Amino acid sequence: MPPLNIPRLSIMLMTLVAAFVQASAAQAEAIEEKAAICSTCHGEKGVPIDKVTPIIWGQMEGYIYLQLRDFKSGARANDLMQAVVADLTKDDLKALAAYFAAKPWPDLQQPSASKDVAAAALALNTSVGCTGCHLGDYQGDSTVPRLAGQQHEYMDKTINEFRDRTRANNPGMSDLMIASPPDGLKAMSAYLAGLQILGSTGHGSR
Amino acid sequence: MAQTYRKQQLSLLLASCTGAFLSTAAFAGQEIQQGAATQGTAAPTPAVSQDMLSGADGDSNNFLHTNGNYAQTRFYPAKQINTDNVSKMHVAWIFQTDVKESLETTPIVVDGVMYVTTSFSHVYALNAKTGEMYWHYKHKMGPITTFCCGPNNRGVAIADDKVFLATLDAKLVALDAKTGSLLWEAQVGDPELGYSETMAPTVVNGKVLIGTNGGEYGIRGFVKAFDAKTGKLAWQFDTIPENSVGVWATHDATGRDMLRDIKAEKAALAKLGDPYKTLGGGVWQNPAVDLKSNRIFFVVGNPSPDLDGSIRPGDNLYTDSLVSLDLDSGKYACHFQYIAHDVWDLDAVSPPILVDVKDKDGKVVPGVIHGGKTGHIYVHNRNDCSLIRFSDAMVPQENMWVLPTKEGARMLPGANGGVEWSPMTVNPDLGFAYAINLHQPMTYHVESTPYPGGKLWLGGAFKVIPSEKQAGNVTAVDYNTGKIAWQVDTPQPMIGGIMATAGGLVFTGEGNGWFRAYNAKDGKVLWSFQAGAGVNAPPASYSIDGKQYVVVAAGGNVQLDYKRGNNIIAFTTD
Ligand code: HEC
Ligand code: HEC
Repeated sequence: MPPLNIPRLSIMLMTLVAAFVQASAAQAEAIEEKAAICSTCHGEKGVPIDKVTPIIWGQMEGYIYLQLRDFKSGARANDLMQAVVADLTKDDLKALAAYFAAKPWPDLQQPSASKDVAAAALALNTSVGCTGCHLGDYQGDSTVPRLAGQQHEYMDKTINEFRDRTRANNPGMSDLMIASPPDGLKAMSAYLAGLQILGSTGHGSR
Repeated sequence: MAQTYRKQQLSLLLASCTGAFLSTAAFAGQEIQQGAATQGTAAPTPAVSQDMLSGADGDSNNFLHTNGNYAQTRFYPAKQINTDNVSKMHVAWIFQTDVKESLETTPIVVDGVMYVTTSFSHVYALNAKTGEMYWHYKHKMGPITTFCCGPNNRGVAIADDKVFLATLDAKLVALDAKTGSLLWEAQVGDPELGYSETMAPTVVNGKVLIGTNGGEYGIRGFVKAFDAKTGKLAWQFDTIPENSVGVWATHDATGRDMLRDIKAEKAALAKLGDPYKTLGGGVWQNPAVDLKSNRIFFVVGNPSPDLDGSIRPGDNLYTDSLVSLDLDSGKYACHFQYIAHDVWDLDAVSPPILVDVKDKDGKVVPGVIHGGKTGHIYVHNRNDCSLIRFSDAMVPQENMWVLPTKEGARMLPGANGGVEWSPMTVNPDLGFAYAINLHQPMTYHVESTPYPGGKLWLGGAFKVIPSEKQAGNVTAVDYNTGKIAWQVDTPQPMIGGIMATAGGLVFTGEGNGWFRAYNAKDGKVLWSFQAGAGVNAPPASYSIDGKQYVVVAAGGNVQLDYKRGNNIIAFTTD
């Protein structure tokens, strides 16, 4: 093995770094560009423009990817979102998922639930075990979405659509929603909307 | 095309350049690096030979297997801590993990070094005498994981100088036991299709055995054997054969009518074909290894979807079954199905135990026993898997087997058992098997939907009836008669595991934080400790410098929502 030429090596490394930075900057730009479209509805600072558009900033990466995949395949039907993802590739979807997952979850300042409402939500959780999947304080993980602090009206809407199977991309969630009493679910979405709590459980340092 | 290729190459090169910088930085700081070990102190290098692993049942210094030994008796041979002095047992040390979420780990101890895992597949190597940390491995988790019942991990396996871990994103990894650095990684299943790993692997004769979760996602289950040195697949056994129909059994193992509509099932079979490709059948607890006959024994979980049988006609082999394979080839040896065409998720999960038992004529034969979610302990002949007897029911049973309905049909036990995944233990001198049980009255609801491509697929719902009281118990069963020897009620359903020792003791913990020692003979509580979080993990024991310790994790439980914590607690007497 020839002796290492340190100066030459470091020059090589510098060119490499420069090339890489350019390449990845181009990639990042592309993602920023694609993500800009999303912000028109999901919000500049992660606060959605209307009440039936969900928060996607800080949502779970695996969950975002699967939803985008399902919009693309039509497994989850929504005119707006299906149009948005129609021309995106699988790699785009993965990159967008990683991009939005890394953003901070916004605080929508939704009111905390009253004692009675919280108690009704707790009773539903005891019966169906929502936190068995959505985890402590409904923070979610991977393909299971965070619910704490999500848009109240969006949650009511999507829960109803799980119940009547208009949202057909997770029949298991539909089955659980169908088995849950409607007033319990109403209490639950109110409770969840007012819940923030960041990273109190799970994950450790992430 | 050429352009992207170059970009990839560049970034690869760059990654290896910066990789060198990063690893120096990692040693300097205490930052947790994704997919890497942290903390500078190397652990003493272990040398765990096959002889050590095979002789674990007589080893009162180490704890080498998740369930104590290859027979999975969880009967620990040390008796320094015993019925006379256990009342003086006290905390030796407490280690706090970075992850505060369900702990289901069984600590593995080798020559004074302890290996524990947490939720989200972290591993820690600790000084088993002081509780000080040697290293921490944080798995670089892929973006997609699918798991039904918590991001749990039940521990590592060890052989030679390697530690083996199965991860939530369905990988099997081998780590350097000294430093915690990654040696190899193998993909066990595709997480996008519902495969995930929570079990501890089993290592034997240079092979790492691993099953899979995914019974709630329409997977096709398996047990795989990987080469311990290279991570190459040695063999695979599909727990669902291409012909999964079976014999159209109408009664369960205990002789109760399961109310199957065989005519409708046969019509569905003609229309839909064999459902084997998405039929579930996860294996997520360790196999027992019979070194004499060179066979393994494990149990297979529920069919997918859990509650809707209409689209999966037949007995759904080998779901809800005890299965035995040849260790070298992975070839089928025998099976016994407890519940054919299960629609209640009352499947087989708790790891089987190999122990000599009396057959129907009173002759001692090699046996294998399993604690079912039904609340029965099943006693089998190891030669052909046949059932010798089943125990008295350890929990209330009502309405068995009422079929799930749209509105919900009440039946006891609830879908968690009886005995959940919690490993049992035996005391062979007394001839007792010990199980921890749940009593959770539930309604069973059915809804029919087609296979959703790797998404949650329950075919309905299980609902706890909030107005009815829940409880649990610790039960000792004489496995030679099937009679309950003693039973102690607990205020909450029990999940986690149990360990018996030669000191005449049985250790187990509760969701409310109590960790207790019972007299193995009569169930009298001899010692209790309040851990401050749910003790829902199987205990272990070991000895260092002539001193015996008992260790357990207190991290609570996701599924039953028991208070979470992050403590590994070691106890000893003076
Ligand atoms: C024209 C408005 C609009 C645009 C543009 C848009 N979205 Fe959406 N998005 C919505 C609405 C409305 C929903 C709720 C759909 C429903 O109710 O099922 C949604 C749902 C989603 C969801 C599911 C969230 C959940 O909690 O289930 C994700 C993920 C998502 N969008 C990501 C994106 C991304 C990424 C982009 C950009 C590539 C984008 N959206 C662009 C309106 C929009
Ligand atoms: C067995 C696991 C499991 C249980 C139990 C469970 N969920 Fe879910 N939930 C999921 C998964 C997985 C998804 C993502 C669905 C998908 O893939 O589209 C989800 C999605 C949701 C969503 C949609 C979130 C969004 O951003 O669109 C809501 C709301 C929700 N769950 C509420 C609940 C409530 C309330 C309960 C208890 C009554 C519950 N879940 C119980 C697994 C579960």
